[in-house]
Amino acid sequence: MLNVEQLYAGYGRIEALHGISFHVKEGEIVTLIGANGAGKSTTLKALMRLKPPEAPVVTSGSIRYRGQSIMDVETHQVVSRLNMTLAPEGRHIFGNLTVMENLKLAAWTRQTADAQNDLEHIFQLFPRLAERAKQRSDTLSGGEQQMLAIGRALMTNCALLLLDEPSMGLAPVLMYEMFRTLKRLNSEGLTIIVVEQNARLALEVADRGYIMDTGEIVAEGPSRDLMDIPEVKAAYLGG
Amino acid sequence: MDDTNAIIQYGLNALQLGSFYALIALGYTLVYGVLRLINFAHGDVFMVGAYIAFFVSSFLLSPEGLACGQTTAFVLTLVLTTILTSGVGVTLERVAYRPLRRQGAHRLYVVITALMCGILLENANLALLGASSRTLPDLIHKEVINWGGVTITNLKILIFMAAILVFVLLQTIVMKSRFGMAMRAISWDPFAIPLMGIPVDKIIVFTFVMGSGVAGLGGLLYGMAYVKLENTMGMMMGWKAFIAAVVGGIGDIRGAFLGGLLLGAVEALVPAFLPSSYKDLISFSILIAILCLRPTGIFGVPLTTKI
Ligand SMILES: Nc1ncnc2c1ncn2[C@@H]1O[C@H](COP(=O)(O)OP(=O)(O)OP(=O)(O)O)[C@@H](O)[C@H]1O
Ligand SMILES: [Mg+2]
Repeated sequence: MLNVEQLYAGYGRIEALHGISFHVKEGEIVTLIGANGAGKSTTLKALMRLKPPEAPVVTSGSIRYRGQSIMDVETHQVVSRLNMTLAPEGRHIFGNLTVMENLKLAAWTRQTADAQNDLEHIFQLFPRLAERAKQRSDTLSGGEQQMLAIGRALMTNCALLLLDEPSMGLAPVLMYEMFRTLKRLNSEGLTIIVVEQNARLALEVADRGYIMDTGEIVAEGPSRDLMDIPEVKAAYLGG
Repeated sequence: MDDTNAIIQYGLNALQLGSFYALIALGYTLVYGVLRLINFAHGDVFMVGAYIAFFVSSFLLSPEGLACGQTTAFVLTLVLTTILTSGVGVTLERVAYRPLRRQGAHRLYVVITALMCGILLENANLALLGASSRTLPDLIHKEVINWGGVTITNLKILIFMAAILVFVLLQTIVMKSRFGMAMRAISWDPFAIPLMGIPVDKIIVFTFVMGSGVAGLGGLLYGMAYVKLENTMGMMMGWKAFIAAVVGGIGDIRGAFLGGLLLGAVEALVPAFLPSSYKDLISFSILIAILCLRPTGIFGVPLTTKI
């Protein structure tokens, strides 16, 4: 579904990705794991074709989605035409809009009947959001905001969802619930790339994983295999 | 009785002046709300609007032009001026602001660019048309209505109605429509907008269309009310409207409208009690006092939330 080859990207003169290659197959959950500053968010932003100053400039390499290069596609088209989107690090929900408006905004380019079905589906997944539909979204709790960020991404009708630290700020119970939800979405056909600080949790849920370190991919494989690598255990799984 | 009549008369003048400030302030606030950009060329877009109205109406009315009837000419001028002035605003956005935004330029540079664009428009006008001032042909049949000693022209009523109508329209668009929702969202977090599949540039162009179109309408009405058009007329009006927008709480549509009317009221009422040379001194002192009490303006919330 997604093929990344020899991707080099940086901010200004500083190179942040030094030629990474990875792929994602339809129906998979793939996780990117790595220390702070490894380049995980940079990778996701590059995939989404976001622009500086928040996102890096890709200097060489290729990103192919369903066989086609997306290097010249604008972000909003990546979302609306290719059905791939990102729930970014730090949520970035629109705090001045209500929960409902946030969700509707994400369906901006879509036909209303379709979007209405998705809306109901999202309210099923996250009943909390239905209760607070009319509330300004900056009054939501951190966990609720995270649900909204994911709900909002789903409203774009994505087939490939990139998640940047979806568990950030969530209590453990909510965290497990969140990942159960992801698993459920995946079983309904959604392909997912998830970046996660909680490596153990991520590897338990993901089919495959890539370990990143300072802009490079240093290990990859099925989650189970990764969990057995001593270095990975030591660095990310607490021994 | 005479005194009250005089005050009411001043009040009506205040409404007219305030309506112009409001119409221009709305454009400032729309663009600021979405882009956090103080579009200092906006006053000059208003000036260009007035000139567009002049040329369009002259052409429509003159026997060598289309020789339209007065009403037809007025309606057509209204529509064309609004559309063409929108075009001016959108062009500025395209050739000046967008390239800077693309390169991630600091907002300060964009503001300076806006300021320069304004000067450019003023001087292009001077170069093209010379220093002579223009006068709009009569577009409506002026009537004076007399209410027990207080007189009001149908033009004044028209201007005030136009300001209210535009205000209600913009407020509705921003708060209720799909585009308005996207505009409010951009003001909060532009980074996440394309991730919703929304083309940011399209929303920005839409914003400039509205802001400049309203400035064009203001220019037309101003020309109809105040006779003389000059290439520098946009500067002082622009500055004052900007101040009105800030006092109202820049980024807030209600604030721009109210701020405009407030400034008009202060300016028109000061000469009722004091020598009119004190006008600007007093009115700006009052505005500064308001800002000291509420630094974010009347409707302003500290940073972020508003459009
Ligand atoms: N907007 C930016 N401008 C300049 N440099 C950046 C920017 N964003 C990230 N960087 C740099 O790029 C490198 C990779 O950052 P990135 O955000 O991708 O890390 P990460 O793996 O997501 O880390 P974390 O786990 O802390 O989120 C870091 O050295 C960071 O300083
Ligand atoms: Mg990150």
